[in-house]
Amino acid sequence: MSTTFLPCGEYHQNYRKDHAWWQTKFIKGKMVLMMLVLFIGIPSVADPYWLSVCNQIGYTALGALGVQLLIGFCGQVTLGHAAFLAVGAYTSTLMILEFPWPKVLMDLGLAYPISIFIAAIVAGIWCVLFGLPSAKVKGFYLILTTMAAQFITVDFVITQYISQIGGRGQAFSLPPGTIKIGPWVIDSDLKVYFMMIVLVILLTAAVVNLLRSRVGRAWVAIRDNDISAEVMGINVVQYKLFAFFVAGFIGGVAGAFWISNLAAISPEHFPWFWSLWLVGVILIGGVGSVHGTIFGSIFMVVVMELLQMAVIPLAASYPKLLMDFLFIKEAAFGLAICAFMIFEPNGLAYRWWQTKNYFNLWPFSY
Amino acid sequence: MKAKVLVVVFAIMVAVGVCSMASAAEVVVGALNDMTGATSDVGKDYALGVAEAINYCNDNGGVNGKPIKLIQFDYGYRVPEALTKYKLFQRMKAVAIEGWGTGDTEALAPTVTADKMPYVSASYSGHLADPKKTPYNLFAATDYSTNARATLTAWFDKRWPKHADFGKRKPRFACSYQASSPYASAPIKAIKDQATLLGFDIGPDQDVSLVAIDTKSQILAMKDFKPDVVWHGNTTMSVSATLRDAYALGLGADHIINLWGFDENLPRLAEKAAEGAMAATVNAFYGENTPMMPKVVEYAKKFNPGVPQEKRLSRTIQGWSNVLALWEAMKRADKAGDLTGEGILKKGFETMQEFDLGLGGAKLTYTSTDHRVSGKVPVYEYKDGKFQLVQVTDLKGRWPDKWQSWLGW
Repeated sequence: MSTTFLPCGEYHQNYRKDHAWWQTKFIKGKMVLMMLVLFIGIPSVADPYWLSVCNQIGYTALGALGVQLLIGFCGQVTLGHAAFLAVGAYTSTLMILEFPWPKVLMDLGLAYPISIFIAAIVAGIWCVLFGLPSAKVKGFYLILTTMAAQFITVDFVITQYISQIGGRGQAFSLPPGTIKIGPWVIDSDLKVYFMMIVLVILLTAAVVNLLRSRVGRAWVAIRDNDISAEVMGINVVQYKLFAFFVAGFIGGVAGAFWISNLAAISPEHFPWFWSLWLVGVILIGGVGSVHGTIFGSIFMVVVMELLQMAVIPLAASYPKLLMDFLFIKEAAFGLAICAFMIFEPNGLAYRWWQTKNYFNLWPFSY
Repeated sequence: MKAKVLVVVFAIMVAVGVCSMASAAEVVVGALNDMTGATSDVGKDYALGVAEAINYCNDNGGVNGKPIKLIQFDYGYRVPEALTKYKLFQRMKAVAIEGWGTGDTEALAPTVTADKMPYVSASYSGHLADPKKTPYNLFAATDYSTNARATLTAWFDKRWPKHADFGKRKPRFACSYQASSPYASAPIKAIKDQATLLGFDIGPDQDVSLVAIDTKSQILAMKDFKPDVVWHGNTTMSVSATLRDAYALGLGADHIINLWGFDENLPRLAEKAAEGAMAATVNAFYGENTPMMPKVVEYAKKFNPGVPQEKRLSRTIQGWSNVLALWEAMKRADKAGDLTGEGILKKGFETMQEFDLGLGGAKLTYTSTDHRVSGKVPVYEYKDGKFQLVQVTDLKGRWPDKWQSWLGW
């Protein structure tokens, strides 16, 4: 599925060209167009509401990217990823609020960017801790050990100890102006949007690059058959733990990014349901596809918002519909997963692949 | 073919929804409620109350002739959901919002301040009562911290002197609540400060989930400390489970409860274990004799006839209180020709002095320096099958030197 056919008449004559990011001028053109849409088109037409929807898509995509890496590429099923988002968010928040930053770093607006990086490292290491059982267990048993991450991290460590720092109990306030990158104070949906786009692009590129490397091939080998992978000389435990680290790292960035969109942070922001939701995102988007992560995130956020929009006109006649929307939403989430499992188990990414190939091979698409 | 028709209908509905805006003659009010989440045991009734009260306002002229359009969403107590819904309210030109939980209300507080959006919440967190920090956060009730101090003081005044150990040792006090919930933990600092002030020994907290149905391990852990009184910070379902287990395991302590854990459902769920439980109340119970109660009952019957009257709770009244307070503020602001967020705050809420909603709650006074509506808190107990007044604790009168310093706790 990962192979995309080149447009008719395109042939590669060396490996360098075959492995190039953008293999044809047409693809390069598409990418430039996408960047223009992302950096100029959307910000100039979207109102704060739609920008907040975009930010939610970005947050979902960043969270789901780590889940995709673990489940889709390394075969390690996880149901506790919200915990690593929480670790990232709390590490970044604590560093901003409590760490005695040198004045020069504060003046340069580097505290938040540095805190994102540290948060990612901490979340990565924390994720490795909960990945350790993967050396011994897999399948359902691994699901349970990853679920433990949620309860130990959010419900115990963060709630009982981390949240108590500073004496307020539970919610850390992030006063306006706290989140700053260089001279820019991140204080509007638009600024959060730009930050989100940059992070999503950087991390997606990083993951795609990793997957093209020896590490990525080892992960895929482990996913396909861990015993065969070991026979081939892959250090299975080491690569699994590295996958947990990278997934946690990305989760940490997602959590640290999300605080830019909040004015306060509490354990309630990271419920276990969110881990389940992220798995739903990759199931709908397509397991084993980076594109799928993005498509799944867009689907899960935008479709739910559009459903909401569809309900609004009916609310004038049936006001209770608005209140009942959450039931509709939950049902739509469950229904979407069932429908994709039955009718399109490869997810939206497979549809995208089919559509793209149809046009690439046109008019000889047989 | 049918699928295509459905897609077209859906697309049209989406287009209409995306383009829908308030007409000039309408005043849009957004409402975030929890009908399905962790606090839905009390949230459902509150949401019904909000909708019924808005109907009452519209039947009585709306905002000086302009009808109020209520956009009410269930967000399932999910904070990220609340953030998006807030943006949607803004997009729909809402002039004010009726909010719900402490987590999302506190998370949105700086945003509503920056947007100058009056946010009347069902979260009565004391942290939201300081206009210096959160000028646009309001509620028509005494705050959790004030209530917690008042209830502990009432227990100290009325129950402790009757205890066999009175005069021989300090009373022992412990807290039971979901530590991860900003709602449940909001008054912890205040109630422990009050316990220290009154000379209690304070035991370790017990972490009890908002959706707990079994709390035996927490009760057993509490028994080691032998508390004389336990403060419960969760909502009714969880509190009643805790009370039942405390009764079954013979904890032997009295119970004082935050107001969202103390309503008509408590004795139904906890039965004998609820006997003697105390709490500060911010309104009358459903059906009690207050000037506005006949209207509350009339509108409940009219708009939600499917919900039996005996199932309605004091949460309905809390919904009404917040709506009526906002309605009054909007009418005053509109009369002053300034129906904006700032107008609703400055020319509406902050002009109210001892304003009585007629729902059995405290008379509302908001000033530009203090959004705590009152220093006097009625404390009730459940005794002999009914809710009875224990005392009105006058915190402001009793500790005048400390009252101001307690603002924003």
